[in-house]
Amino acid sequence: MQAWYLNENPYPFVPPDVLEAAESVRGSLPNRYCDPKIAADLFQEALDEYLLCDDIGINVVSNEHHAGINCLLGASPLILGILARQTRNVRILSLGTLITVRTDPVRVAEEYATADVISRGRLEIGFVKSGGSEMASGNANPIGIVDRFWEAIDLILKTLAHRDGPFSWEGKYFTHRHVNIWPGPWQQPHPPLWAATGDPTTSAELGRRGIVNVMVFRTAEETTRAWTAYRKARAEAGLPEPGPDRFGHTAFVYTGDTDEEGVRVGSKLLWFLNTALRSAPQYGKLLPGAVPAALAPALYTTKPRPGVPAAARPAAGLIGITAEQAMAKGLMFAGNPDSVYRQICEYRERVGPFEHLVLASRSGFMTHAEATKGLKLFANEVLPRLREL
Amino acid sequence: MVATERLDVGGIPLEVLRRGAGRPLLLLHGEAPIDPGAPVLDLLAADTRVIAPTHPGFGHSTRPDGFDTVYDLVHLYLDLLEQLPHERVTLMGLSFGGWLAAEIAAARSSRVERLILVDAVGIKVGDRETPDILDVFNTSPAEVRRRRWHEPAKWAPDPDALSNEALIAHARNRESLCLYAWHPYLYNPQLARWLGRITVPTLVLWGASDGIVTPAYGRAYCARIPGARFELIEAAGHHPEIEQPGALVERVRAFMPS
Repeated sequence: MQAWYLNENPYPFVPPDVLEAAESVRGSLPNRYCDPKIAADLFQEALDEYLLCDDIGINVVSNEHHAGINCLLGASPLILGILARQTRNVRILSLGTLITVRTDPVRVAEEYATADVISRGRLEIGFVKSGGSEMASGNANPIGIVDRFWEAIDLILKTLAHRDGPFSWEGKYFTHRHVNIWPGPWQQPHPPLWAATGDPTTSAELGRRGIVNVMVFRTAEETTRAWTAYRKARAEAGLPEPGPDRFGHTAFVYTGDTDEEGVRVGSKLLWFLNTALRSAPQYGKLLPGAVPAALAPALYTTKPRPGVPAAARPAAGLIGITAEQAMAKGLMFAGNPDSVYRQICEYRERVGPFEHLVLASRSGFMTHAEATKGLKLFANEVLPRLREL
Repeated sequence: MVATERLDVGGIPLEVLRRGAGRPLLLLHGEAPIDPGAPVLDLLAADTRVIAPTHPGFGHSTRPDGFDTVYDLVHLYLDLLEQLPHERVTLMGLSFGGWLAAEIAAARSSRVERLILVDAVGIKVGDRETPDILDVFNTSPAEVRRRRWHEPAKWAPDPDALSNEALIAHARNRESLCLYAWHPYLYNPQLARWLGRITVPTLVLWGASDGIVTPAYGRAYCARIPGARFELIEAAGHHPEIEQPGALVERVRAFMPS
């Protein structure tokens, strides 16, 4: 098993009364509540954590969200550019640039190719469908996301792989008459591919394409459902069974000296679910296309109706979760090194073997010192044992 | 008489509600299809032959693959006008349907005799930093409700009182409007330039309390259509057809030739 470190670089320092009064902590919260001097410190700390990971053998992950306290990484390729130069050893995963809100996938491919070249072939490319408040801040139509997602991927992959001068693309969502990037990627025909989804239909398509399917804060049940769809789609297409390297899981992970410390400090990570997910309904469940229209009776009503299935977006059901609940669901692994190792093994028993564990190991008010300590303990005491799996 | 028919318009299935007899009136709906039980329908039908199609994708209607732009809707209705047995019709559009009606009239369909726009969207009037049309997708539901109705407490639907079927239709309406009109948001940047081509008598009606698109926008819209007349409907927001059906139909009747 390999470990990957993700720090979404959230900004938790907005006064609680402001957060309480805001309709949404993402999408519409004014950026006057984000002090650039504090943001600069947070970026420096996050980049230092990534450099530490480079020394201790944990791969690194950058992601992207816009206009909210949950994540200051507004442009994944910008962070990739820094990591490509400043790290020397580990793999670098973008999870990912929001291709459903970017107007030109060719530019995304160009940025990825450049980062791959600067890092001398250490880039991995992850795709995320995105949704919610990202549609407002990205000015992107929330209807048609899935088709737009796949067309963007097709165009990015062709752009990366193409070596023979300009080609033309006139698709439904994207047109670009003269595609010819310099440089092309270091890794030919393109860097390894990932996608984050728990949606079985999307997982099935990932299976047919052989793309790594990584879960982000999904329960064992959701994970099993998605990965079963992945395997089934491959079998139906007559493709070989996927190895564990096609699967990844993202969890809150904190390793302390003791169980008490691991759980106490690790619980700070749940700020992400309990504070940073609070989104106004127009960016969430009421955004057209966020959930199928057939589930509308559960969306618009204030009282449950008999026979009507719940219609929450995946993460919304996790708001308010406790450390114990998160650990029971496999969303958090926390404790001393033995406990963390055991919890990961137990989760692996439940969902089947997976090669990639993404560590969401700093969030909310967790300090840089705490994050650093947890990462070192994990790398020294847990990771060597996981590598044996 | 309540009859919803399914027409085939150049291979596109189209649900159409018909009511009444007399001079034909093609009624293009806004964010939701015309409710067959709406008082406005019977009032109009007292002396006109109302033909009210459902835009593909709205309500429970189907939408063909790749049929997803205002361009498609405009051409569908240009086709429908030629297919209907009436030489000339009055074209009336509410809100989003007003945009479609203005496009059709600017295309100078020979079948359009008169044009009535009610709280229509479709053009850009303000400067680049002043949105003309409230963003009903990115604004809080409470604010949209407040700005949509003259009397929200009386007219805003209570979701808890609606059937599952009605709520599903509501979600499909929002999805469809979003698909057709997310960007640019509810307008065609070129349409304002061509409104001057409209040569048929035109009446522009506007809810005095409309906070989705204000009466000032309505006056600017009207000013671009040669000879068009602008009239306010008091005690109505974005939906005079629901809040003041009587006053609305009175204005329509006065405008129609006797």
